[in-house]
Amino acid sequence: MKQENNIKNDLLNLFSEDKEFLPFRLFNESIKNIIKEKEIPTSKTEQWKNTSLDAIFKHKFELGKKINVPNQFVDTFSFYGSEADRLVFVNGFFIEEKSQISQNKDEIYIGSLRNALQTHKEIIAENYCKTGLCKHNFFTAINSEYSQNGAFIYIPDNVVLENPIHIVNFIHGDNKKVFSQTRNLIVAGKNSNAKIISSYHSLSEDFTLNNVATEIITKEHSNLQFYIFEGEGNSANLINNTFVNQHEGSTFISNTSTMCGNLVRNEIHIDYKGEHCETDLQGIYLPDKEQHFDNFINIKHSKPNCKSNQIYKGIIDNKAKAVFTGKVYVARDAQKTDAVQSNKNLLLTDSAKVFSRPQLEIYADDVSCAHGSTTGQLDQEAIFYMKTRGISERKAKTLLMSAFIGDVLDKIEISAYKDYVKYLLNRRLKGQKVEGLCSLQICPSC
Amino acid sequence: MLQIIDLKAEINGKEILKGINLEIKPGEVHAIMGPNGSGKSTLASVLAGRDIFNVTGGKVIFKGKNLLDLSPEERSREGIFLAFQYPVEIPGVSITNFMRAALDEHRIHKGLKPMPAMEFLKYMKEKKALVEMEAKLEGRAVNEGFSGGEKKKNEVFQMAMLEPDLAILDETDSGLDIDALRVVANGVNKLRTKDNASIVITHYQRLLDFIVPDFVHVLYNGKIVKSGGKELALELEETGYDEIKIKADRS
Ligand SMILES: Nc1ncnc2c1ncn2[C@@H]1O[C@H](COP(=O)(O)OP(=O)(O)O)[C@@H](O)[C@H]1O
Ligand SMILES: [Mg+2]
Repeated sequence: MKQENNIKNDLLNLFSEDKEFLPFRLFNESIKNIIKEKEIPTSKTEQWKNTSLDAIFKHKFELGKKINVPNQFVDTFSFYGSEADRLVFVNGFFIEEKSQISQNKDEIYIGSLRNALQTHKEIIAENYCKTGLCKHNFFTAINSEYSQNGAFIYIPDNVVLENPIHIVNFIHGDNKKVFSQTRNLIVAGKNSNAKIISSYHSLSEDFTLNNVATEIITKEHSNLQFYIFEGEGNSANLINNTFVNQHEGSTFISNTSTMCGNLVRNEIHIDYKGEHCETDLQGIYLPDKEQHFDNFINIKHSKPNCKSNQIYKGIIDNKAKAVFTGKVYVARDAQKTDAVQSNKNLLLTDSAKVFSRPQLEIYADDVSCAHGSTTGQLDQEAIFYMKTRGISERKAKTLLMSAFIGDVLDKIEISAYKDYVKYLLNRRLKGQKVEGLCSLQICPSC
Repeated sequence: MLQIIDLKAEINGKEILKGINLEIKPGEVHAIMGPNGSGKSTLASVLAGRDIFNVTGGKVIFKGKNLLDLSPEERSREGIFLAFQYPVEIPGVSITNFMRAALDEHRIHKGLKPMPAMEFLKYMKEKKALVEMEAKLEGRAVNEGFSGGEKKKNEVFQMAMLEPDLAILDETDSGLDIDALRVVANGVNKLRTKDNASIVITHYQRLLDFIVPDFVHVLYNGKIVKSGGKELALELEETGYDEIKIKADRS
């Protein structure tokens, strides 16, 4: 207990008063108390049972600094064509000169939260801390109080964005163990339509911890696609919380690809503020070596007539571990709820592990809820069959593995991004190195 | 082309093949018949390189090479093809991607460059026509949800694509109606040349009306107990396997 308090205090000491954090206190007074109340999750915390942070907090962190990114790295990760608007962050700091924004017309806002506070304070105040994120746990609370910056995207009513928006998040230790926070707010107006990619990369091999929190509000009949690409380095840790409030008739789709990192914990929380909403949460995860990837989903069907779907697939190699928790709550009067959940895992070795937990809490009677979870190995019969056609063992396995997660990737609706993820995936499955993924050789002088 | 010399194999300590001898020359078709459970599929699997079977004795020479030293994929690239009795379903892998991968490996083995995409599609179309395979199967995953007949056609289609020196057809006739049987047999016959050979494993004489063998062997209890010309198949059709069983069990 005492030790845990020390860890907490060490972390809180990072945010000494002279640092310039986003002035969200303006909107919310009570977060300091939440921070006091909440503890860092331990193995005794129910929803963290299979994900231990002990090894991470053995390290002492410093706060990440603003460091510029060489152009070449920004280009490496601009994977979906040059048309896309791009916001670049390093350690949570906005790098304005590396960002490019072309769609800022018709009241659209694509930029940093800090800048937006000068022009869009009202919209921010209306939506900030309204999804339940701020009070969720220790990490979301400190993120709400002590974030440097983050993206603010506002799509006004009836606006349809043709091109995707890409939020590129770099972490750079600069030879130090670094803790960083990024805070994003996305508001999709009535009848609007947009696609956003949020990607995570490391610019150094340092041991890092990135605490990201994103609030998303989809207003009536809007349609938002949110793609998460996680390719931080082998010593990078990522806690990534996304809270979504969906209003009447809105559609929210997320597609998460967790390719790399040391420990990654993704949480996506959906809550319905109106009826006839649709949600489709898709994900793939490919932990290797001793990596640990955890996906936690929480869908709260608090209104009737909403439809949610979850499909998560993972391939777990070596001694890696994957955790999937799919929580679906259906309130007493949320009749005609349709909730489907599927989690499929492929274990490549005997020491690879997966913990798959569906958690269904259903209080309404006229609902349709289905869930399924499977864990298996590569089909040896299929491998032999392919070999008898001359296909090598490696190629046979690669074909089977890409086929296994192919349907999740095929759901990606930005074709350049889809091609990129598939390309990376194939190289990963073949055991080939990919520039900028997992291990990046930084060379600041070139 | 192929010499099998006193081949013995077991699975989980149980001996299945108990000393098989067989010689096959280019241009020949050999039929292997015999009651269920005699080891026909086991022989086919061992020749293809299935590692769940443990070879405990004997030798197999294929085109001068020691076949048992090669991996299944090397055997395929060297020119052995097994049409499975029970073709395996591979969800999510399209026939096109599957055949592309297989043909590429075969060509690399021969020192050729992978076939250009257009040429490959044309080649595939040609071979499909040979077994009257429907175009809609092309985009589908390998064998997934295929009918019995479609699976068997798919086997012969793959054989046509890879043009093996030695094809082993394991009960390719089972589960086929007479029309499908004719199509499949026609495909096999069209692929026959004076340089390649095949082993046709079947339970019934019916297939041998279409694919006429040069030799017929009866496999029973892990051994070839009788060999003869194509008339042996007709003989068996009349007498059944009982007589052969009794004779073999006695000795
Ligand atoms: N995978 C296996 N595990 C255990 N026994 C097997 C296996 N495959 C075949 N056998 C046994 O080997 C014998 C021969 O089988 P098989 O080669 O399939 O016969 P056939 O094809 O002539 O009907 C049978 O007794 C069968 O039970
Ligand atoms: Mg058989």
